[in-house]
Amino acid sequence: MRWLGLVVVVACALALAVVLGPAHVPLADLATSDVVRSLRLPRALLAFLVGGSLALAGAGLQALVRNPLADPSLLGLSGGAGLGAVLAIALHVSSPWALPLAAFAGALGAMALVYRLGLVGGAELDPRVLILAGVAVGAFTAAVTTALVSLSDAAELRNAFLWLWGGLSGASWDSVLLLCVYAPLPIAVLLAAARPLDLLALGEEPARHLGADVESVKRRVYVAASLLTAAAVAVSGVIGFVGLVIPHAMRLLWGHRHRPLLPAAFLGGGALLLLSDTVARVAVAPRELQVGIVTALIGVPVFVLLLRRWTAN
Amino acid sequence: MPPSRISVIDDAGRPVALGQPARRIVSLSPAVTELLFALGAGDRLVGRTTWCDYPPAARQVPSVGDGLNPNIEAVIARRPDLVVLYRSALNETAATQLTRLGIPAVLVRQDRLEDIARAARLLGRLTGAERAGDSLGSELEQLTGSVRPDPEHRVRVVFVAWDNPPVVIGAGSYLDELAGLAGAANVFHDVGSASATVGLETIVARNPDVIVVLRDSATAEPPGFTRRPEWRAVRAVRDGRILYLTGSLFARPNPRAAEAVAEFRRRLEESTR
Amino acid sequence: MDRELILDVRDVSYRYPGAVSDALAGVSLAVAAGEVHAVLGPNGSGKTTLVRVALGLAPPAAGRAAILGRPAAAWSRRDLARVVGVVTQREDHLFPQRVRETVLLGRYARLSLWGAERAEDHAAVERALARCDVSALAHRWIWTLSGGEYQRVRLARALAQEPRLLVLDEPTASLDVRHEMQLFELVRALADRDGLAVLLITHHVNLAARFADRVLLLADGRPAGDGAPADVLTRETVERVFAWPVSIASFEGRPQMIPLRKKEDRT
Repeated sequence: MRWLGLVVVVACALALAVVLGPAHVPLADLATSDVVRSLRLPRALLAFLVGGSLALAGAGLQALVRNPLADPSLLGLSGGAGLGAVLAIALHVSSPWALPLAAFAGALGAMALVYRLGLVGGAELDPRVLILAGVAVGAFTAAVTTALVSLSDAAELRNAFLWLWGGLSGASWDSVLLLCVYAPLPIAVLLAAARPLDLLALGEEPARHLGADVESVKRRVYVAASLLTAAAVAVSGVIGFVGLVIPHAMRLLWGHRHRPLLPAAFLGGGALLLLSDTVARVAVAPRELQVGIVTALIGVPVFVLLLRRWTAN
Repeated sequence: MPPSRISVIDDAGRPVALGQPARRIVSLSPAVTELLFALGAGDRLVGRTTWCDYPPAARQVPSVGDGLNPNIEAVIARRPDLVVLYRSALNETAATQLTRLGIPAVLVRQDRLEDIARAARLLGRLTGAERAGDSLGSELEQLTGSVRPDPEHRVRVVFVAWDNPPVVIGAGSYLDELAGLAGAANVFHDVGSASATVGLETIVARNPDVIVVLRDSATAEPPGFTRRPEWRAVRAVRDGRILYLTGSLFARPNPRAAEAVAEFRRRLEESTR
Repeated sequence: MDRELILDVRDVSYRYPGAVSDALAGVSLAVAAGEVHAVLGPNGSGKTTLVRVALGLAPPAAGRAAILGRPAAAWSRRDLARVVGVVTQREDHLFPQRVRETVLLGRYARLSLWGAERAEDHAAVERALARCDVSALAHRWIWTLSGGEYQRVRLARALAQEPRLLVLDEPTASLDVRHEMQLFELVRALADRDGLAVLLITHHVNLAARFADRVLLLADGRPAGDGAPADVLTRETVERVFAWPVSIASFEGRPQMIPLRKKEDRT
């Protein structure tokens, strides 16, 4: 029943995202409208994929670092992405895909650096160190980026920050296709790690004795969650809150077992970002709100409602 | 009261008094720098910002920084008897600091043409070139009231400041005013602020004839966003009707407004031919 | 009776990286099916290290460890989990679970990657719950259990793995006498009735002496005796290893250690 409800929510969110918008498109014209086909539909699909990826990565990360407050932004990836984007602009790379690719490359660089820092004794990933390293790398790259931007004369560099917090305006069928090709592998890796993550909750040693290859699981989950987050940041900038709160909300409904939790988180995150983006596009038309603000404004009341229901039981 | 005493109220409502016309002026605004030279008081300029690049003679004057967050020490080092800043929250603080140090500081608004007109008159009084200031001020005021072409034949434009997310220029800005004077209609004139983030589909729906992009320098290459798939939904992008405005003439309000309007009108006619 | 040798550790030495001395030196251990083998020794004598080396988690500098005839290092974690069930000293409780859920985790090594739990998995869980006498608690949340009940649940999880060898690391550390006895009785029954090999690390010398078939006494990483409790736990040996005067009494044919008070403290 819960699953049915979730699927219905996702379907409604998709429908709303396609039907509603600042440009008035009558229902009868939906199928043929250029605005719908070239802009709204790919943007809706992208919102679903990005929201789902962020929530899934968040759930995996929270299990990996054994900390329910973990969020993909703690991995330091957005800092790396911002630095990549600023460098691309500073070097006047003019390709239309320059920014996303540079941001992605920057995020991967940050991921590699954090991974290296998270290895203790040269071989084992220590999740607590991972988080600290992620925060440090994120802060450092953000500082370097800010310094570059403020020291430079070019107004364009300042716009890199606009892009980084931009949201889903760059959505097109190209980016949807790209994500559809890229995302399934990291998603599959995370879903496959569901049971080992349950074991990991007991502690690394008990998990090992129960048959989990703990080192491999940690590596796989870290890399997969980072890859998903890097791609999300590259196509839609930094969108906070989804990766942190959706896993918690889904736990209230599905419990802690990761086999149902991970797919539920994906669907829930997709629905949240879809709804948020629709509100962002429509609420103050013709202007557009920053989608990260809307995810927080929508997400918090929903989360509080769920929390009250759970504590009442 | 001594006859040569000058008393004005600046755009922030602050009363400023000078015992005599200013002789050492630091300008923290490119428009003010241009105005001073236009009033024949360019030789009294002792400090400018790095953005003050017009007229060329201005570049000989020492710079006191980029002026965005005024470097008070650098300003004082020029020993000015008047400092002129554009009105902003940061600058109001700076002006207060300067006044406390005994240096008269004047804040002028700079968003629209009428602000420049008023500033011309104000600077005229402060430099003892009242007639030149009033004359320039009248010229600019006349420009703002100049006859515009028939609304139905207006060219519809959108000013794109950034592509992802799409940031357009709205009614609160100088460019919007320029568009109106040049016979164009800014499709986002209903947006009150100087700039705003809008949805791409709104741009598509409003279907402007021409996209106007501000650039620092003149290059032949179209900006990256014209090749992005989602921007191809905008007809003007598909048709290649993109107009580039470069240089300081268009970037900010300045006394050469008449020239800017004429140039803009000419470029518009060119692109819609 | 020729019992199958499940765990065979020969003459192992191990030193932790950066340590000044060996954590283990020349230790041997053999556990056969149906046998309870206790490992005793003061804190820091190398008991937990021995388990890690025995199960392939730490490569020995010398000697070898084998499980069911295969070198410990050659076992994948998954394969080993089908043969060895371990109840560690500590585990985390990151999120609330019910008893049945946590026992079900023991089936991990026998589940396929994407497949759901099958009837045989649920049956194994039921058997394990019954064996540990916690079936009535199956629906309870773990945090509502007493210490003794919780340890039996953890033991049930290990049994759900359907292992040949059970390794228990200080399973009764915080339990009261009733729960402690219940656990030791349960462990004895598992060895006798179900033929499990049991490796039991404990600091409770007397209970080990009563319930174990063989005892390995460690001192500073070195074996101070390995054999029947009566043979190993002599007064000289115990006093030397534990650095305290004791008297050894016999109870039901097993040696019981009685620590003596220092002469000056006697009133």
